[in-house]
Amino acid sequence: MSHFNLALRLLLRDRRSGELTLLLLALMIAVTSSTAISLFADRLQRTMGEQAAEFLAADLVIASSEGLPAHWLEKATEWHLDQAQTKEFPSVLIENEEMLLGSIKAVSENYPLRGYLKITDSDYAQEKSVQNGPGPGTAWVEKRVLSALKLKLGDPLMVGDKKLIITRLITYETDKRGDFYSFAPRVMMNDADLQASGVLQPGSHVHYYFQYRGDPKALTEFKRWIKPQLNPSQRIMDIHDDRPELGGALSRAERYLGLSSIVVILIAGVAIAMTTRRYTERHFNATALLRCLGLKRRDILWLYGWQFIILGFLASSFGCLLGWFVQQALFHLLRGLLPQQVASPGWSAVLFGFITGMAVLLAFALPPLLRLKQVSPLKVLRRELEPLDTGTGLVYGMAFSAIAFFIERYTQDFAMTATLLGSGLIALLVLGLMIYGLLRLIAKLVPHVSLSWRFGLQGILRNSKASVGQIMAFSITLVAMVLSFTVRTSLVDDWQKHLPEKAPNHFALNIFPEQQPAFKKEMIQNGIDSSQFYPVVRGRLVKINNIPVQQIVSKDSQGESATHRELSLTWAKDLPEENKITAGKWWQEGQQRGLVSVEQKLAKNLKINLHDQLSFTIGSQQMNVTVASIRSLEWDTMKPNFYMIFSPGTLDGYPSTFLTSFYLPEAQKNVLNDLVKKYPGTTILEVDRILKQVKTVLLQLTKAINYLLYFSLMAGFSVLFAAVYATLDHRIQEGAVLRMLGAKRAFLRKVHLIEFGLLGLMAGLLTIVLSEVMLYSLYTHVMHIDYSPNYGLWLLIPFVGSLSVSVAGYCGTRQVVNKSPLTVLREL
Amino acid sequence: MQSQTDKAVEYLIVAERLSKSVMTSEGILDILSSIDLLIKPGESMAIVGESGSGKSTLISLLAGLDTPSAGTIRLNGNDLTVMDEDGRAAIRNALVGFVFQSFQLLPTLTALENVMLPLELSGDKDAKIAATALLSRVGLSHRLTHTPRQLSGGEQQRVALARAFVTRPVILFADEPTGNLDSKTGAIIIDLLFQLNLENNTTLILVTHDQVLASRCQRTIRLESGKLV
Ligand SMILES: Nc1ncnc2c1ncn2[C@@H]1O[C@H](COP(=O)(O)OP(=O)(O)OP(=O)(O)O)[C@@H](O)[C@H]1O
Ligand SMILES: [Mg+2]
Repeated sequence: MSHFNLALRLLLRDRRSGELTLLLLALMIAVTSSTAISLFADRLQRTMGEQAAEFLAADLVIASSEGLPAHWLEKATEWHLDQAQTKEFPSVLIENEEMLLGSIKAVSENYPLRGYLKITDSDYAQEKSVQNGPGPGTAWVEKRVLSALKLKLGDPLMVGDKKLIITRLITYETDKRGDFYSFAPRVMMNDADLQASGVLQPGSHVHYYFQYRGDPKALTEFKRWIKPQLNPSQRIMDIHDDRPELGGALSRAERYLGLSSIVVILIAGVAIAMTTRRYTERHFNATALLRCLGLKRRDILWLYGWQFIILGFLASSFGCLLGWFVQQALFHLLRGLLPQQVASPGWSAVLFGFITGMAVLLAFALPPLLRLKQVSPLKVLRRELEPLDTGTGLVYGMAFSAIAFFIERYTQDFAMTATLLGSGLIALLVLGLMIYGLLRLIAKLVPHVSLSWRFGLQGILRNSKASVGQIMAFSITLVAMVLSFTVRTSLVDDWQKHLPEKAPNHFALNIFPEQQPAFKKEMIQNGIDSSQFYPVVRGRLVKINNIPVQQIVSKDSQGESATHRELSLTWAKDLPEENKITAGKWWQEGQQRGLVSVEQKLAKNLKINLHDQLSFTIGSQQMNVTVASIRSLEWDTMKPNFYMIFSPGTLDGYPSTFLTSFYLPEAQKNVLNDLVKKYPGTTILEVDRILKQVKTVLLQLTKAINYLLYFSLMAGFSVLFAAVYATLDHRIQEGAVLRMLGAKRAFLRKVHLIEFGLLGLMAGLLTIVLSEVMLYSLYTHVMHIDYSPNYGLWLLIPFVGSLSVSVAGYCGTRQVVNKSPLTVLREL
Repeated sequence: MQSQTDKAVEYLIVAERLSKSVMTSEGILDILSSIDLLIKPGESMAIVGESGSGKSTLISLLAGLDTPSAGTIRLNGNDLTVMDEDGRAAIRNALVGFVFQSFQLLPTLTALENVMLPLELSGDKDAKIAATALLSRVGLSHRLTHTPRQLSGGEQQRVALARAFVTRPVILFADEPTGNLDSKTGAIIIDLLFQLNLENNTTLILVTHDQVLASRCQRTIRLESGKLV
């Protein structure tokens, strides 16, 4: 404990020195940002989870084609899970001599467990959110039902044998599935009336959804218990499932958040290492004296160790507090975009921030600090007796492990960690060599340049090891900033590209072939941009190479759902836009019938290869085709996409309808009414709400990410100043002597400018090389975004590097230039 | 009473009512108070006094390394007190040479580069020739490419002497130039200093604790608590 007391006193005496302030600052930036980011990401993730739950109307749903065994339901009760269920099935509705295929949904008492329905009392009334379904004896319907069946609110509607009164219009259904082919207009009724309606006969095609809500742990346990017992027609959906309509945006954003947090930690770490180095060097003499006074090496280590622990504790505590506020501010700034209910902050995230601080300090400050242990007491007599550098291996090893730890912690993704670390390591090596080469080149210039340039160049060259370190630090900082900036930009661009302003937001399905030309004309007349019209034949994939698909598909795979529902099959002469052939060939003009092109992911899931035989049932007929090609396509473009495209003529003779998608602005919505009236058989699917929600989510993420960029900027500046400070003592002496000999201030400024500008320039040049390599591997292996270099940055980075280092150098060395030479000489 | 201009012609350094005070945590501290000093060209003068009496402060003021709180200093007719720092730098470069107790060589430059430095700063093209010549004069022709770390204290001070004389200064200021050296080495340095002084006909202002050394100067002034006695 006596170590602690002495350490505290020494620390207090040292508080005026610049490097401790800088150390505290750098550490605080690291802790603040990692606390803020982990808190923010944690809350955002949970908020998104809650949103996902809204889409399911529950936390966990079991979809099934039949009722569940009674003991499953008991088990759910045992786990204290709230339960609800819905049954969905098609049924023909006949009123006023009009006929309509309705999509009936019978809901139980607790429905919806999560989320809400929106209903209105009349056409023009305000929408109202409710958290229950229709009561017994009543039905809520989509407006289309009324127009198609010539009904109005309050009229009775026969569902099977049961007469229901239509009391409300449904405008929003929380768990309406984005399944584009279950599109018939909705009629929602109470589960209690189902028996009496008699529509459900053994063998009717019903989707059961058993919904659960409750404690996350209980849900996980329940899921684990249920999973092995599912039969092939049953499927579990929960909030952790991918949401295809977000196109992986969420997971990418999460990775990005983690990445930028590591970037900040890394940069701050560099600053910490640099300041500790200077701190250490400034304490050589004091340490030698302490050793003369009888302190042992262990004591020395403890003495300084305690000082750093105290510092770390202070900075981490304060950083956590700041991080909490920053995160709070972020949510405040984003409150317009986020749902009303935001998940509350989690304490583990705060604790993580604190641990980050201590770990960063340990990893980056300990190696230089260890040098103090080796100070010889003889140094009191011979000033030049400096302790050896602690093994550089240790320094880099510690920093490397720390970074590895943080990357793994954030991404929880081994591939990403390995990619980043691997390319980072190679990059460092290459970087070091390149800097060394550059310095050699510069050394050749020295005899041929003017005095100020010579001084500037010699400033860099005279301690080439330190310069390599400095340039490396600048480069790493710049690379980190370029990385977080570029990744951010392309994330956002990528999202925007997938969601162009006029992305189709409506689908028209079931257009009869004889009506298709008229329908198309109508669209053009109304100035509506529609995509191509695709013929659609409904069919089911039953066999692959004569083996029933059910035997091929494992239960969990994504291919599963494609095998037990009807697929939309189409044919095309030309390869549709945004489709790319990845294997095989697209058919030529006049090539034979009986060929099919399969979507890549489905092919992978169902283990379909080129030239396989696929068997489909269409209606009551069966047909065989050969796989001619495999295609990749972009799912999130909101254009009609098909798993199966057949060669022309193959589907001739089967009943087909047409399908198209189009963009319709909110203001033009009434066109829909006309269309629905003129083409009663046609179904219009409005996906604009889903799209809007996707856009909102992406917008929030973009904004949050923008704010987080400031952290890496701040950390970057702390490195700049740390680097300038690291060489300040030397510069002060040099400046004083030069001025004593008659150098003008402008001369000194010029020397500094040349030196720092060159350092920055070199760092900038290396940054380009490094960041291109890293970006390439990051994009192709981790983010899965196409990469193309940004040549504008190639010009900008060296300029920015040079400028920012010069500015920091200029500010940092002001006292070298402005103090009277005597004051400086006295301080030496 | 002579007029200002006459003084400027006759004397190289004219210091009038020179005072220096600094702010410390315990209030204003007067380091020098009201010092008048006239130094003729070619004269050699020793400044002696107790430690802390203000010798270094005075010599720095005279050399234009710092500015007085009150009073004026004219160096070869130039009023240092109305000049800005860059103006004084130019004067230092043109007229003044320095030798310090702690050598003040730049550790990263070689002996030759250290000596070339003041010439290079004034744009002299023949810096290398002059510097090499002077280094041989102080007996270091074989150590041109060595850095200060590789030189002994006496050798370092010889480099410092060469650096001070390489610009052929009108005045040389030396602040305890032998303070860090043993007496034998110190004596060699002092001999060299006086020889160079004689060869170049330089005005010499020397701060020292050593009475013998002081007596080798034409004149000695004594400081006590910042005042001339
Ligand atoms: N910037 C300053 N702030 C406070 N005190 C100062 C400052 N500069 C000088 N002093 C004080 O002024 C006094 C004179 O200092 P100076 O260095 O001129 O003495 P000196 O005669 O050269 O002493 P020595 O023979 O030990 O070198 C000292 O007491 C010193 O502490
Ligand atoms: Mg002194």
